[in-house]
Amino acid sequence: MKIPTPIKALLVHGALFGVVFVTFAAALKPVTLLNVSYDPTRELYEQINPAFARHWKEKSGQVVTVKQSHGGSSKQARAVIDGLQADVVTLALAYDIDALHQNAKLIPKDWQKRLPNNSAPYTSTLIFLVRKGNPKGIKDWDDLIKPGVSVITPNPKTSGAARWNYLAAWGYALRKNNGDQKKAQEFLASLFKNVPVLDSGARGSTITFVDRGIGDVLINWENDILLIAKKEHVGKYEVIYPSVSILAEPTVSIVDKTVDKRGTRGIAEAYLQFLYSDEGQEIAAKNFYRAQSPKVLEKYAAQFPKVELFTIDEVFGGWQKAQKTHFNDGGTFDAIYQGAK
Amino acid sequence: MTNKTRKVALTVSALSTLWAANSALAQESETIRELKSQVQELDQKLRVVERRLEFEREASSEKSKSAPVISAGAGGFSFRSADTNFVLKLRGYIQADSRWFIDDGIDANDTFLLRRVRPIFEGTVFDKYDFRVMLDFGSGVSSSAANNGFLQDAYLNARFLPEFQLQFGKFKEPVGLERLQSGANLLFVERAYPTQLLPNRDAGVQLHGELFTGTLNYAVGIFNGVADGGSGDFETADDEKDGAARLFAQPFRNTDNAALKGLGIGLAGTYGNQEGALRSFVSPGQQRFFAYRTSTAATAPNVEADGDHWRLSPQGYYYWGPLGLFGEYAISSQDVRQVGGGAGAGEVAELRHTAWQVAASYVLTGEENSWRGITPKRPFNLSGGGWGAWEIAARYSELDIDDDTFPIFANPDTSATGARSWTIGVNWHLNRNVKFNLNYEQTDFEGGDQNPITAQKEHAILTRAQVSF
Repeated sequence: MKIPTPIKALLVHGALFGVVFVTFAAALKPVTLLNVSYDPTRELYEQINPAFARHWKEKSGQVVTVKQSHGGSSKQARAVIDGLQADVVTLALAYDIDALHQNAKLIPKDWQKRLPNNSAPYTSTLIFLVRKGNPKGIKDWDDLIKPGVSVITPNPKTSGAARWNYLAAWGYALRKNNGDQKKAQEFLASLFKNVPVLDSGARGSTITFVDRGIGDVLINWENDILLIAKKEHVGKYEVIYPSVSILAEPTVSIVDKTVDKRGTRGIAEAYLQFLYSDEGQEIAAKNFYRAQSPKVLEKYAAQFPKVELFTIDEVFGGWQKAQKTHFNDGGTFDAIYQGAK
Repeated sequence: MTNKTRKVALTVSALSTLWAANSALAQESETIRELKSQVQELDQKLRVVERRLEFEREASSEKSKSAPVISAGAGGFSFRSADTNFVLKLRGYIQADSRWFIDDGIDANDTFLLRRVRPIFEGTVFDKYDFRVMLDFGSGVSSSAANNGFLQDAYLNARFLPEFQLQFGKFKEPVGLERLQSGANLLFVERAYPTQLLPNRDAGVQLHGELFTGTLNYAVGIFNGVADGGSGDFETADDEKDGAARLFAQPFRNTDNAALKGLGIGLAGTYGNQEGALRSFVSPGQQRFFAYRTSTAATAPNVEADGDHWRLSPQGYYYWGPLGLFGEYAISSQDVRQVGGGAGAGEVAELRHTAWQVAASYVLTGEENSWRGITPKRPFNLSGGGWGAWEIAARYSELDIDDDTFPIFANPDTSATGARSWTIGVNWHLNRNVKFNLNYEQTDFEGGDQNPITAQKEHAILTRAQVSF
């Protein structure tokens, strides 16, 4: 095919124009990131996001807006797998982020090694909230299985917090019964007999307990419970630390396929790294998360009473194993909850 | 009974009464406690039931959010996914026309016809990829090897950014202003002469977009190349390709200046190398008044495009309230060759034809005039008192054939060397979807004295009943 010279010129100039234009437009265009997170992190990221936007504007001159999406951790992971265009995920547990690799290859298998502390920029644990005066005298896990005690915890099928709650109770029962798994299952069965409703996420359970006035005790994230007791409803509730609980490690990752498609990898990585910065750690601590930075943890030590914590690896052999045994279809939760209903 | 005994008896009696009262009080307190506890228990049960109902409502609302949406309205019928990333629209329009030529003495040109019968399927996949297929079942349109008439549009438009979009397939080349206006929104029944010198639909690829928040539209494309006024989706004459480009500015579009908001001016053009058959030109009544010499006989003249072909078209419109002005100029330069036998065999020439038009319209009922059609404030309704929108319009248009065309490349006895037409019209927009056009047009031809069409003035009444959705 003979291409006339003017057409060749048109092609060359058109291509050059396209490349220059797209590059120019991309460099100047304000960027929007979507952070898909779990239920109780609303307040945390409402403070992190503007702080990061200021940091990024100072560093690069670019304007960034971070949008948030919240819900039950597993439900959120499912939404991302189904196509929700998250640039980053900040979920309640590593298993939910693993699902992005296992089900859709949205991230690499070794995603957890990309950031310090196994990609957990902050930790937390699971504790109790009771009504003022503690009318049912709740002090430890044993009290939750007493007849007449109404316990509020979300659904382990959809909520990360619920799974941490479940495993914390299981770990306690194992310890009390010298590692007897059967007795631990019976303990959980008794506990779930006392659960009148299952919310899909931790924030829903908080609404059930606080706003709807249902139940005698709420098991939830330490950060959420301290927020209620110390900031939002001072004097109306009491915080109870059980004798033992689990070390919860919410994890974070960029969603590789999305950031590569949208051209936001650099800024998404910077966003997650910001969580580990002094400023990010300070914001986390102010929102009652246990910071990873020893300096910040020390500064806020007074707000976190000492509590004996076991890890999921120590007691359950990691998330994959715990998920399979307890929460997959046919796991212990199905057996317990079918019986409890 | 001694006093002492009486005292003891009284004391015992009083104590017995007190004990009995206390016992009754304790029993009552116990009952109240039990009742309180029962009330609390019932209250908790009620709250649990209410909360469960809340869950059900939330689940139902969540479900409705993810359900596809079907809608029907003036813009057509559509089916879209809940996240709007996938859309399918069914649209289309039908134009039932008639043409009446006054005192022309020519048989078989007064007619009813279906000018356009066009179903349109368009939509979006994965948010940014639009597609459109438009067919035409209008009178005289048939499927051919090149599918020109039947398949009007078939393209994919990738909207990467508003400023950067790539379109592939068959669609209108970005040149003529009136050509780029939808056939459903035309001011008159037929387009004016500049459209006949500019390309219609062609197969190719186009980079286009909106810059500066929509105040500047640009389009640059490469196409197979078509003859003046022609369409094509398959190159059969040559390997050459045409480049086409257009810039159209609406500098005041985003301002509050009502008097200038509707001003748009632009420049478009094409450049390429065209070979093969050439098209004839028609009057507003769609009667042929100019044709190149063509013949399949070896001894008779036959004229074809053979070489450089370029076009240029400055254009503009202005809309302010009910007023609309529209103008367009076109020049087309085409190298031609007499490839047949007979007189002028082997002769070549560069022919430059020109055309222009100016049109004005006014919406009597006060609606906003627009290039994209008029939406009546009060749709026609006999019982409701609405009369739709009424619009009057006038146009003058000329086409001038290059003098070098005659006599070698066209016969001056049967083809006019120029045509001048004026048209007046009334448009009744019953609602956004239904309108009637009534046009009267008169055309003066220059030359072509032995052709009954061009030997006299054309006086025609053109009508259209249109439904579009």
